[in-house]
Amino acid sequence: MEKSRKIYLDHNATTPVDPRVLEVMLPYFSEKFGNPSSSLHVYGWETEEAVEIAREQIAGSIGARTNEICFTSGATESINLALSGISEAYKAHGNHIITCKTEHKAVLDTCNHLQEQGYDITQLDINREGAIDLQDLDNAINKKTILVCLMHANNETGVVHPLKEISELVKKRDVLLMTDATQSVGKIAFDTEKFGIDVAAFSSHKLYGPKGVGALYVRNRPKVNISPYLFGGGQERGLRPGTLNVPGIVGFGKAVELCSREMHDDSERLGRLRDTIENELSVMSNVQINGSKSHRLPHMTNISFRHIDETRLIPSLKSLAVSRGSSCSSTTIKPSHVLKSMGLSDQLALSSIRIGLGRNTTEEEVRIAIDSIKTTVNQLRLTTT
Amino acid sequence: MRELEILLASYDEMKAKGLECVLATLVHVEGSSYRQAGARMLVNENGDMVGAISGGCLEGDALKKALLALEQGQNKLITYDTSDEDDAVIGAQLGCNGIIQVLFEPIRDDQENNPMELIRKVVITNEPTIIVTLFNLRKSHLQPGTKLIIDQRTGVTGNTEHLEYLNVIRENASTAYNQNISLFREYHVSGETHHAFIELCLPPPTLVLVGAGNDAQILAQLATISGWNVVVTDGRSTHASNTRFHSSCQVFVSEPERILDNIHIDRRTAFVLMTHNYQYDISVLRLLLNEPEISYIGILGPKKKYQRMLDELENKGIQLTKDQASKIYAPVGLDLGAETPAEIGLSVLSEILAVLNKVNVGHLRERKNPIHNKSNLEFEVENV
Repeated sequence: MEKSRKIYLDHNATTPVDPRVLEVMLPYFSEKFGNPSSSLHVYGWETEEAVEIAREQIAGSIGARTNEICFTSGATESINLALSGISEAYKAHGNHIITCKTEHKAVLDTCNHLQEQGYDITQLDINREGAIDLQDLDNAINKKTILVCLMHANNETGVVHPLKEISELVKKRDVLLMTDATQSVGKIAFDTEKFGIDVAAFSSHKLYGPKGVGALYVRNRPKVNISPYLFGGGQERGLRPGTLNVPGIVGFGKAVELCSREMHDDSERLGRLRDTIENELSVMSNVQINGSKSHRLPHMTNISFRHIDETRLIPSLKSLAVSRGSSCSSTTIKPSHVLKSMGLSDQLALSSIRIGLGRNTTEEEVRIAIDSIKTTVNQLRLTTT
Repeated sequence: MRELEILLASYDEMKAKGLECVLATLVHVEGSSYRQAGARMLVNENGDMVGAISGGCLEGDALKKALLALEQGQNKLITYDTSDEDDAVIGAQLGCNGIIQVLFEPIRDDQENNPMELIRKVVITNEPTIIVTLFNLRKSHLQPGTKLIIDQRTGVTGNTEHLEYLNVIRENASTAYNQNISLFREYHVSGETHHAFIELCLPPPTLVLVGAGNDAQILAQLATISGWNVVVTDGRSTHASNTRFHSSCQVFVSEPERILDNIHIDRRTAFVLMTHNYQYDISVLRLLLNEPEISYIGILGPKKKYQRMLDELENKGIQLTKDQASKIYAPVGLDLGAETPAEIGLSVLSEILAVLNKVNVGHLRERKNPIHNKSNLEFEVENV
């Protein structure tokens, strides 16, 4: 007998490609296979146009201009390119970068690498709700500060940083603001112009597009300089050379367009389902919701269960695909750096699950998940006491 | 309108040779640009280009986009941002700082009202006409293209199918006509957005040269190069002769009292009295004073000559109204320090252009505002 597939509740890790996205991508694998850099024939012209349409779809949805969007292989590459490229381009101005303890590893590891090269990195603390203190940020900025890098929405808790306020503060000090918007683009309003963002990284596969493609937004007015670290055919204005991943980019564009159109309804529906999960699980004792409830992504939750055998929690949730936390550090079972920064003990951090709902999540799936989690947690508590 | 004539002639040639072609129209400019909305270029399948949409910086990429539109058989809108210093597409920088929207339309010559056939009607009418071009700033959306022409006499011509908001377009067209300007509109129709370029196409100005001497010859040449209609008349058949003027000029011999019999006058007609014959000039001036539509009457000769004319008219009981006097430019021409007939011609032509365009003459560098008038360049929203 074929085993039934687990219910997928890990949409912060990745999302399935929307069938409407797949449909527009397909011709670009086979008949429309031209290299957009081929300028002498129609094969090149048509793929160049497809890339430009995708660029317009993406720019339009985040309040940017098309010449401010650079395609990359994903958010990690975008983040690496931006952090390394800005620190190189602005090294005459200073060597200090401010970030935060709850950033994704793509930011933290790149910052560690820069620190080894002599850059000065400040990691801001957060409170129990996952929020930074703007006064801390202001105090941290000094004459050598070139960049503040703070994520929009956290990948483990969904906590949203107040980018507009952060930007106002940072602009007063004449420092650049970069944000990792991987979890927020396509899910909640993200506008580079309204928020006053200089650089933003995000990715296609988190918003129902294909894997292997991402974007870097780089403000053009006033112009932000980024030194490239790849050299080659001059594509993407020389910032990220190499033949473009046309099918991926076409899908990315379509996925972003669909999200802009459906984001509002999706987030309302998923927000209701998420609230149901939290309300029903909170009926049990010793349950804690992690992260500010008022500044959070609507489609996800991070929940800790006290007094359970944490090693058996996720393996016991047999019918569900959920995550313990940041999937990138999950090869070794280490407590989440995000939850620990919020003051959770190692054990409580390990007794936490992240539930990420998505476009295809049904009410029935949510119902099954609630029952399954309740049963499992009760069983684990019984066996440990 | 002369540019349209040239495009049309090329279109007919291309069609005769069986060559497919694409019309590129500059439909909107934000910021500054060498050419303004309404500039057009025709590209054929061999990549030959006629006309221009920029000072040369966009034509290379526009050629590629035109051929792609031809290949795909559908209209497309392309945005060029000349404010972007790194733009690889535009390459050589003019430092223009403009965002330019260009619409590419493959021409189906089997279609009765294809854009070039509509342009043919505009040219033939030789009257102020509105061309309505519909597009969408979201380039992945449908680009309807050059759809209609509207003129005061024959009304609407073109493809009005599925055009639920024709009435609104007609209202906008009459606003454009009455205000003597082109307009841009953004129509919101049942959740969809359409953009429109309501373009006022004026026939070229008409320059009537009363006097066919050597100085008139050279002024006629300058006006012809500028694409103007030129009419030359003189009492002397030795001077008013077709052999002395470009073939496009209308040349005829006439007594001064009868010269208006053969001339159509509208608000873009300018006269220059330059027979070097006082009696002839004043006789014509007396006729012109009764033609309120004329915008410009230039009189060659010193101030003394003009004063003598005024005195003589007054003796005959003719007192110039303020309006009549304001149209008379005597001595004719701008103060350019012109000496030779060609230089004088240039100063006269420049003055007429300034008067027809209702601008104050001066150096562009002294201008506080942008060179091109920016009023009416915004898309005004209409919910229809």
